[in-house]
Amino acid sequence: MKTLLRSQDLSCPSCVAKIENALQGLKGVNDAKVHFNTGRIEVEHDPDTAPTAVLVQTVRETGYEAVVAAF
Amino acid sequence: MKQLKSWWQSPKQRRQLLTAISGLLILLALAGKYLLNQTNWHNGLMAAAALIAGSDIALRAWYSLRRRHISIELLVTIAAAGALIIGEYWEAAAVTFLFLFGAYLEARTLGQTRRILQGLLELAPTTAIVLRDGRQVEVMPHEVQPGETVLVKPGTKIPVDGDVIDGRSAVDESAITGESIPAEKVAGTAVYAGTVNQAGLLKVKATGVGADTTLARIIRRVEEAQEEKAPTQRFIERFARWYTPFIILLSGAAYLVTRDLELALTLLVIGCPGALVISTPVSIVAGIGRAAKGGILIKGGEYLENAGKISALALDKTGTLTIGQPVVTDVVVLQAAVAAGDNGELSVMEKNEQQALYWAAIAEAGSEHPLAQAIMAAVDADDLIPAADEFETFTGHGVQAVYLGHEIGVGTTGLMADLGIPVPAAAHQALDNLQAEGKTAVIVALDGSVIGVLGIADQLRPTAPEMIRRLQVVGLKKIVMLTGDNARTAQAIAGAAGIQDVRASLLPEDKLKMIRQLQAEGHVVAMVGDGINDAPALATADIGIAMGAAGTDVAIETADIALMTDDLLKIPEALQLSRATLNNIRQNVIIALVTVALLLAGVLLGKVHMAGGMLIHEASVMIVILNGMRLLRT
Repeated sequence: MKTLLRSQDLSCPSCVAKIENALQGLKGVNDAKVHFNTGRIEVEHDPDTAPTAVLVQTVRETGYEAVVAAF
Repeated sequence: MKQLKSWWQSPKQRRQLLTAISGLLILLALAGKYLLNQTNWHNGLMAAAALIAGSDIALRAWYSLRRRHISIELLVTIAAAGALIIGEYWEAAAVTFLFLFGAYLEARTLGQTRRILQGLLELAPTTAIVLRDGRQVEVMPHEVQPGETVLVKPGTKIPVDGDVIDGRSAVDESAITGESIPAEKVAGTAVYAGTVNQAGLLKVKATGVGADTTLARIIRRVEEAQEEKAPTQRFIERFARWYTPFIILLSGAAYLVTRDLELALTLLVIGCPGALVISTPVSIVAGIGRAAKGGILIKGGEYLENAGKISALALDKTGTLTIGQPVVTDVVVLQAAVAAGDNGELSVMEKNEQQALYWAAIAEAGSEHPLAQAIMAAVDADDLIPAADEFETFTGHGVQAVYLGHEIGVGTTGLMADLGIPVPAAAHQALDNLQAEGKTAVIVALDGSVIGVLGIADQLRPTAPEMIRRLQVVGLKKIVMLTGDNARTAQAIAGAAGIQDVRASLLPEDKLKMIRQLQAEGHVVAMVGDGINDAPALATADIGIAMGAAGTDVAIETADIALMTDDLLKIPEALQLSRATLNNIRQNVIIALVTVALLLAGVLLGKVHMAGGMLIHEASVMIVILNGMRLLRT
């Protein structure tokens, strides 16, 4: 499943690798891509092993607030 | 308490709280030192400020380190910890506080450049009223089935793309087209999801819902554009990838050579290439966002950079410079005709003109020719055009018809010769005059004699001369008109628009060759067109600009620059914005490079210390962001 998160907190592109690493390290996440310019975070994941709430919490642990977006 | 807990769990709010406390402690410490002369207080408070602000930085550094990622936070943590150990409390407090406060300001300001898109997202409608089995049912917009009838009440958002089937209203389409004047909507016109119905009740037949709407396509297109990396950005990122490791090595080497711990730590503080990596994205996001607000969709940073370098512009004539629909521009009456309809209060002159048009329209009513449409449209709207009793087409020459026993002929001199109707000298004179103006001229004959000559021409868009003038102001050297039309018509249109360079009688592949030729002369070429026959030329040009893209999905997806409306003045606006963005990127890159160079030199020469280094670093990031934001206001 593909989930889209949006964050308004990204202030320096160094956070891109940080958030991507954190998400990709999760069990059940196949791919994660952070777009610095727009603040979009795309995650390919299995909602059973890595539910959306866990994705948000993981991004939060790296220090950024993110919300799930419809598009 | 619960409030406090939720505050603490939100990284953003926690950081704001920590920044505020740390800032307050620094103020207290400064007050203690300079007002009360309490140096011990000062050091204690400064250390506390550094620990409070640093805790968040250290925590994030730890999360990254656990995932084997050396983050900027780690460098700042090491620097601040080192400063505390060697007793530089003020430096430690200032570095950590400035790091947090700078990031807060930067995220806030960057958020404003991203907000334009946020505005588009918020436009997305939330409910739709559908007619199902004669009843009104409220559903989510994406649950509407294509083909269903949607009811749009005044003051609400239109939830789907569709065609009006009943009702009349004014609709604010500024979100899609950038046009501030509401558009009139009646049965048969298209409406777009996300636009606002201002006046009347509309019944709309849904043609596109959810992700298959113009609004969704625009949002997708703008985001992809903003995310696509411009060449400058790719270059900078390669540079930046080496910058941080280089600074870490330099810091180690500096310590080994000079044994100056503070110097080594200060180098770590400036190890983030912040202003540099942010210089290009911020300009691009602002530039593309600003353009989207004006109804100009730019495909991406690369295209924005290219558009900024355009030196030649090729314009298609029909449908681009002109409206694309021929209209009757001249009616030359040669002989008063019998009245075929009641013309009420008109003067003799107008009566005669209307009579000539009216007879011509009766003959043309059965014709599919584009010129027939123009003649019929020119007849007073009040008059119904009756069907002819007999009708015949002479391909390439015109038409002949019989109505109430009157014989009508409309066409060329060739037709008149075929019908055996003599063409008087005055008619030949009128034909020559009209053709010299680049117009198509047709003769109208009634019962064996010529009664008038009609001049028909496609009309220049009223804004065309102003567009050409503005393009020249923007500094475009070469403006060329390309057309498949004959040279005389082309010259007339180009002359009225103010274009000197005209290439007429071109086939679609000739247009492509013209673009190639301009490129061979060293120009960066933009091509403006609308039709399908322009597609090869649009693709060959360095920048293909499509007009009136609001209804055509293909244009939104494929054009390098898509203008949502037919407004020609958007072309100079798009080029001007591209140039402004390109300049903005260059300024930002220069600001960032100069700052990095000065900081490095300053630190190595011992003129810049930790707090100062961090301040300059954060200030340069802010300057770059604020400079990028200027684009939003142009």
